[in-house]
Amino acid sequence: MRMPAGLGGLLPALTLIGLFFVVPVLALLLRSVTDPAPGLQNYAALLGDGTYMRVFFNTFLVAAVVTIVTVLVAFPVAWMLAIMPPALASVMFGIIILSMWTNLLTRTYAWMVLLQRTGVINRALMAIGVIDQPLPLINNLTGVTIGMVYIMLPFMILPLVGTLRAIDPMTLRAAALCGASPFQAFRRILLPLSLPGIAAGGLMVFVMSLGYFVTPALLGGTSNMMLAEMIAQLIQSLLNWGLGSAAAFILLIVTMALYALQLRLVGARRATGGI
Amino acid sequence: MKLIFAGILAGLLATTAAKAEDMVFTSWGGTTQEAQTKSWAEPFAAASGIKVLQDGPTDYGKLKAMVDAGSVNWDVVDVEMDFAIKAAKDGLLEPIDFKAVPKADLDPRFTTEHAVGSFYYSFVLAWNKGTVSGEPAGWADMFDLKKYPGKRTFYKWSAPGVIEIALLADGVPADKLYPLDLDRAFKKLDTIKSDIVWWGGGAESQQLIASGEAAFGQLWNGRVFALEKDGADVGVSWNQNLTAADVLVVPKGAKNKDAAMKFLAAASSPTGQAKFAEASGYAPINTKAKAEMPADAVKALPDAHVEGQINLDMNYWAANRDAIAERWYAWQAK
Repeated sequence: MRMPAGLGGLLPALTLIGLFFVVPVLALLLRSVTDPAPGLQNYAALLGDGTYMRVFFNTFLVAAVVTIVTVLVAFPVAWMLAIMPPALASVMFGIIILSMWTNLLTRTYAWMVLLQRTGVINRALMAIGVIDQPLPLINNLTGVTIGMVYIMLPFMILPLVGTLRAIDPMTLRAAALCGASPFQAFRRILLPLSLPGIAAGGLMVFVMSLGYFVTPALLGGTSNMMLAEMIAQLIQSLLNWGLGSAAAFILLIVTMALYALQLRLVGARRATGGI
Repeated sequence: MKLIFAGILAGLLATTAAKAEDMVFTSWGGTTQEAQTKSWAEPFAAASGIKVLQDGPTDYGKLKAMVDAGSVNWDVVDVEMDFAIKAAKDGLLEPIDFKAVPKADLDPRFTTEHAVGSFYYSFVLAWNKGTVSGEPAGWADMFDLKKYPGKRTFYKWSAPGVIEIALLADGVPADKLYPLDLDRAFKKLDTIKSDIVWWGGGAESQQLIASGEAAFGQLWNGRVFALEKDGADVGVSWNQNLTAADVLVVPKGAKNKDAAMKFLAAASSPTGQAKFAEASGYAPINTKAKAEMPADAVKALPDAHVEGQINLDMNYWAANRDAIAERWYAWQAK
């Protein structure tokens, strides 16, 4: 078989991915249907058990909440970055990206210190008399959401700025000239035009959130357990590798399906002329 | 295929590669592993010339992956005793060479064909004196939200301890604990579930109590000992303290088995055990060790609190580990 032109140079990379990604994934799949005995019983156990289903549901719930909150926080920031003078915008970008260079665990522990009952936020609020009992900000969905939104923000802001910058500012001026209020201009011009960016960033955040481990493990409670933590538990402490592999494979399939959706959306964006 | 998978996993996970004459000791990190390094590894290396590399934390999944793949990078591992009994049954451990490791003085409670004791410890009730008014007297007080409000912290993982505590608090006599009545235990735990903060590791338990984030908790006595040494304002009740043990094992196919056996001999020797017990507050598993310890260090050990002490049943746990774990995590996730 002749390789299409240019693909020959990719051979080392393809071999590497094949050996260190495709083969292990296939081994994972194989283990999920052979350990401890051949058959689909691992999948049946996962899908037929209330606890595991709750963890699946919870994983999607957390990912959805995180995605929505991230969009809400990221949009104004992205809009500011898009209309800022370029020099100032690049400084702001630097600050946003800098946070990504700090170790994830360190950042999550920092949130623990801030959010716990005796933490900075609760103490400050109690000192100024806003509350008399500490707010439950950690070991629950609130803690997981705060911690994860913070980590996901750059992944939302960056694609969104690209989309927003591509929008012709004249469209907004035209809307104003035609008598649209700022809110109408936002809802009927800016928002529809920025949807591809929101969709692309949103899907990226959603997919990344599905597999998150450290932040939910440290900031969440046991009733907010997500899939990644459950898999770690099955593999590390229960040594139930068959079940763990099946759970990992289901997560992989869902993630890949969503990724395919994202590719189509991004492709669609290109098809409409770069908006 | 299984081998390929396990091989890749082990390859990815292995962080330490040892030279031929070196060996790798793996434990749980924190103040405990520090004490093990100082009391066992350093003197052993000086005496034998065998360099002991430290790795951690102990991870049963990694251990199994290494054994399955036939690529074992750990020579001696500190594990919980119920795991050791189960792992020996599953063929994951080398038998101990008792020609190299003198057995005569080892506490038979913590010695098996595949493990020698590392240390034994007690779960005790500890509290932050700044947050708790009064002196909780026993496990039942941890379930009394009216008398003792506040968050309480328990060990997160399915392991001997919390189930027993719930049953004792519910009035089950100590000699009637086993077989464990799981329904009754979970029902009791349900009454305080929303006030539980789980700790996953020793350092976390110390942080929770020292900061007052949790008012009280079920802690390893060595971690309370370390808090007291640091001057933290903690109280402790030894009433119905629950003993369990860590043991040292050699994974099947360990590359430096001879060095590992020599290390075990040093670690379980009266001197090694005495030094470690003095540094950690955990009890020695060598019956001759206490003679080598200062009197005030002996007073801090679980051995000084044998009245009302309850031995957690490691054999029961080894036999029922998986079944209990399934219910435990299902209950936690609810």
